[in-house]
Parts: sequence; structure tokens; C-alpha cells
Amino acid sequence: MIRINNLVATYTTVRGTVTAVDQVNIEIPEGITLGIAGESGCGKTTLLKVLYGDVGFPLAIRGGAVEYGMVGDQNEEITTQNIQKYWFRRIAYIPQGSMSSLNPVVRIRSQFLDYLRTGGEQKRKLEEAREYVKSLGLPPEVLDAYPHQLSGGMRQRVMVAMASFLNPDIILADEPTTALDVVVQKGILLLLMDLQEKMKSTILFVSHDMGVHYQIAHKMFIMYAAKGLEYGNSEEVFSHPLHPYTRLLIDSLPAIGDTNLRRGVSGHPPSLWDTLVGCRFADRCPYATNECRTHEPILREVRPGHFAACHFSERFL
Amino acid sequence: MKINLRLKIGVTLLAIFLLGSLILPFFTDVNPTAQGTYFKSLPMSWKHPLGTNSLGQDIFWVIVFAVRNSLLLGVSVSLIVNLISITLGLTAGYSGGWVDRLIMTLCDSFITIPTLPILIILASLIKGSASFLTIGLILVAFGWAWGARTTRSMALSLREREFIHMARFSGMGHFEVIFKEIFPYVYTYGIVGFINTILYAINTEASLAVIGLSNLSVPTLGSALYWALNYNALFTKQYTWILSPVIATVLLFLGLFLTSTGYNDLFAARRGRS
Repeated sequence: MIRINNLVATYTTVRGTVTAVDQVNIEIPEGITLGIAGESGCGKTTLLKVLYGDVGFPLAIRGGAVEYGMVGDQNEEITTQNIQKYWFRRIAYIPQGSMSSLNPVVRIRSQFLDYLRTGGEQKRKLEEAREYVKSLGLPPEVLDAYPHQLSGGMRQRVMVAMASFLNPDIILADEPTTALDVVVQKGILLLLMDLQEKMKSTILFVSHDMGVHYQIAHKMFIMYAAKGLEYGNSEEVFSHPLHPYTRLLIDSLPAIGDTNLRRGVSGHPPSLWDTLVGCRFADRCPYATNECRTHEPILREVRPGHFAACHFSERFL
Repeated sequence: MKINLRLKIGVTLLAIFLLGSLILPFFTDVNPTAQGTYFKSLPMSWKHPLGTNSLGQDIFWVIVFAVRNSLLLGVSVSLIVNLISITLGLTAGYSGGWVDRLIMTLCDSFITIPTLPILIILASLIKGSASFLTIGLILVAFGWAWGARTTRSMALSLREREFIHMARFSGMGHFEVIFKEIFPYVYTYGIVGFINTILYAINTEASLAVIGLSNLSVPTLGSALYWALNYNALFTKQYTWILSPVIATVLLFLGLFLTSTGYNDLFAARRGRS
């Protein structure tokens, strides 16, 4: 169980500090795929960065903490401060751009071994890596290639292979399918789902594509303007969303055979530089009242296991 | 892959100089610096291919040893210079912050100081007692800055690439990222820089020697020229004495220059093709 307790993360800039993750408070059960959705700049990537323990200037944790529920090699509690030691062993990261995430002048096999810090037993590890890559549906020869000799999908598979090779407890995936065409995208998603079933890792999957989330996520977490708006099991979130923003997001998804024009969510998210009062979605919300503009709703359990941050969630039950 | 003409000529010239100056000394017990070994000012003959000079030295052997010493100086200075400049440049560029500022302030000071006047002052201060090693150290001190600056600029742009973040996210240490991820990018540039630094070192030592500020008891291309000038070889019509170091220097430079640009071309072609 990963517990994110009232996490506040800020960026220091010349203009002052900006809060990119504001009092996020959720519990993630072990061994599931959590989909994190939201539009650009809502704090998805920052949340992942904090979880990964890559906190350094200008990013800082101003409040709250992450409990990973894991113990390290010396039986110590793993925290954001010491998780760097366990990078790729207990917690791994699949980056966004498969095109640029591999060093173009170094062969895949040395990158594989370097990333996995295998030390002396290179030869045996290389054999294992070959086997592993093969089991993920890649020809073992890719290890001998340079990144530019592989297609985008293969490169992303190599990244997935690197991230999952040491069987980590947590895998963070930051829009891993963004730059790929839908067929390859589907392949990567199936691969991730497969791996998760086998290894029982917790996968945190960031994407702004609700369609992708629908295929892969067990639980959904919707973010908006640094806040968590809705959290619950995917089926419930997709079939009975409790927050107007989620409803609008899902309404914008096309369905096969549906010829109606899709509507987007009009307007823009608020600037995080401003002092924000009340519900952050109020300006774009069709149901907003005066209460929404003055009182900020908190993320509360509206139904068992289904959280939403809206004063009027009961309306949608 | 087609090897271009420049590289061929350059490497051939270099090979002749390298092999000649490194192997030939084993076939002689001549001490090239000893004076009066032979009769003075002999013309060219089978025994003395380039004749002897006014000091009673065999000019051919002086040149052989001069080329060897100049090359040794050039290569060792260049090795150290490149080691320093690549390490400092990559560290500064990748680390950023105060490390970067500190190294670059130092680097910029060395770049803005006009080298030759300083070298003249330094060399005249330690004139006479200047060992070959001291000359080398002085050359290193004034040679590293430019390379460090260019390497740093490369590291600066590489630092923001996704694969560097990935390497860091995999738990690689600071210097591991620098040498395993960034260095492979920089090393082709480093080879060209290495050859150019050899040129710089030989060139600067020769300039110092010609005006009599290097260690003149060791035969180098510069000191050979110095002694020829000192004994007015031009006026006494001992052309082989004065021309042989000049021609050797020019050919050596040509060899290094052609190798450096030829290698650059070759690498560019390989990059373009694949």
C-alpha cells in the first residue's frame, strides 16, 4: 500500500513559488494499475517525480509525505529521502519519449547493464537480459543494436524491459505510449498489463488519454490544477463519475458507431500563480454555484471506495 | 567506407615521422648533442646524408632526435591537456551551478591571457634552469582552457537530453553519467582536439626555442633551428642545417593537420551515411 499523505510539492522560480501538487491525499493498494489523468500542467508528472524521489531544486516537498509501505535492505523504512538507493530495483521508471531516452551513441546492451548496475557478473546478466528481452517479444539481437537501428515501438519495449528486469515493486510510467501509433501503443499496453499480472507490481500510469486509461487502469485518479478531484475503481469512475470534470472528460471520448459531434471542456484551467479560492474547476463547471466559488471542496468518500472533491457529488449518484 | 586522400597523406606523413624518429635512434650510438664528433661543416655525403654543421654534429641525426623529442613533448602535453580539459569541461557542463561558474571563471581567465607574451616572461624567468618537464608543464597550464570551454558547451546541451535523465533515474552516480553517457559523445571531438593540441605544443615550444627561451641543450625542432640561426647558417651557406628543421616542422605540421581534418571528414561521412 502506497499512502500519499497531504502531499504538497512546489517549484521555486524567479517569480516566486508555485504549488504543482496541492494536498493530494490517496491510498494506493498494492498490485494494481493506477491511472493518473488530467490535462497538461495539472501536476501529474510532478506527482510522479516526488514518488520517484527525484526531489531537488527547484522542486521541493512543502508538506505531507509518501509512505511506500516497503522496507529496504537494512530493514529501514523506505521514504522519499532514501528511495534513490532502490531506483530500478524496487521502483522503476518508464519515460515518455522512447525516441530520446536511450543514449544514441552507446549500444543497448551496455546501457542495459549500466542501468542495472550489475557490477562484476556482466556475462551472466547479459544472458539473462537476452532471455528476458526475448520473453517480451523482442529479438535478442536488439541488445547488440544502437538505438537508431530500432523502431519507436521496439525502443519503448526496450525501456519497458529495462524498467521491469529487476522485478521492482513499483513501476512509474509517464505517458509511455504518447509518441507511438495506436497499434504499437496497444502492444505496449498489453505488455504492461501482462507484466503486471505476472510480477504483481504496482504500476502508476500517467496519461491524458482517457481511452488508454480505460484499457489498462484498475483505479483512476483524476487531477486538476494541482488537486485530486476524483479517485476510485475504474469501472465506477467511468460508469458513474462523481465529479463534473470527470464527466466532461468521459463525455469527450468517442465511441464506435457514435456519429455525434464530441464536445470538449471549454475554457482553461486556472493559473497556479493566482491565489485560488473555492473549487478550482468552478469557472468551467456547468453546475457551479456561489458555494463552489467561495468554499473549496475536499476529496471525500462519496461512495465506499469512491472519492470525489465536489460539493454536489451526491447529485450524480 | 572510402578513406579520403587527406587522411591517407596525413597518416603516411605521420607514420614516417613516428617510425623514423622512434626506430632510427636504435641503430646509432651517436650522441646528437655532443659537439665536435665529426669534422665541421662537411657537405652532404653517404656517411653524413645532410652534412655536418659548424658544431661538428651530424645534421641528419640532430633532426631525427629533434623530431622524436618534439613529438614526445607534443603527445605527452596533449594527453595531459585533453585529460584535464575533457574532465573539467564535462564536469562543469554537467554539474552546473557554482562548480560550473568556478571552473569557467578559471578557464576564461586562462583564455583571455595572451599566451605567448606570458610564456616569454615565464621562460625568461626560468631560463637556463628550465628542464624539458617544466616547459611541458607550462604548455599544459596554458593549453587546457579552450578545450575545456568547448567540451563544457557540449555537456551543457547533452545534460538536458532525456537519456541523461534516464541514466540518472537508473541510479547512476554523477561521474558515472559523465563518463559513461556524455563522454562517448565527446570523444570524436577529443581525438581531433588531441591532434590539434600536439600541433600547439610543438609549435609553441619551437617558438620559444627559436628565441632561445626553451631548453636548448635538448634537440627539438625549435632548438635545432635556434642553433642554425645562432651560427648564421644562412650566410655561411649551410642550407641543409637551417632548412632541415624548417622542412621537418612543415611536414610534421602538414601530417598532423591533414590527419585531423581528414579524420573529421571521415567521421562526418560515416555519420551522414548510416
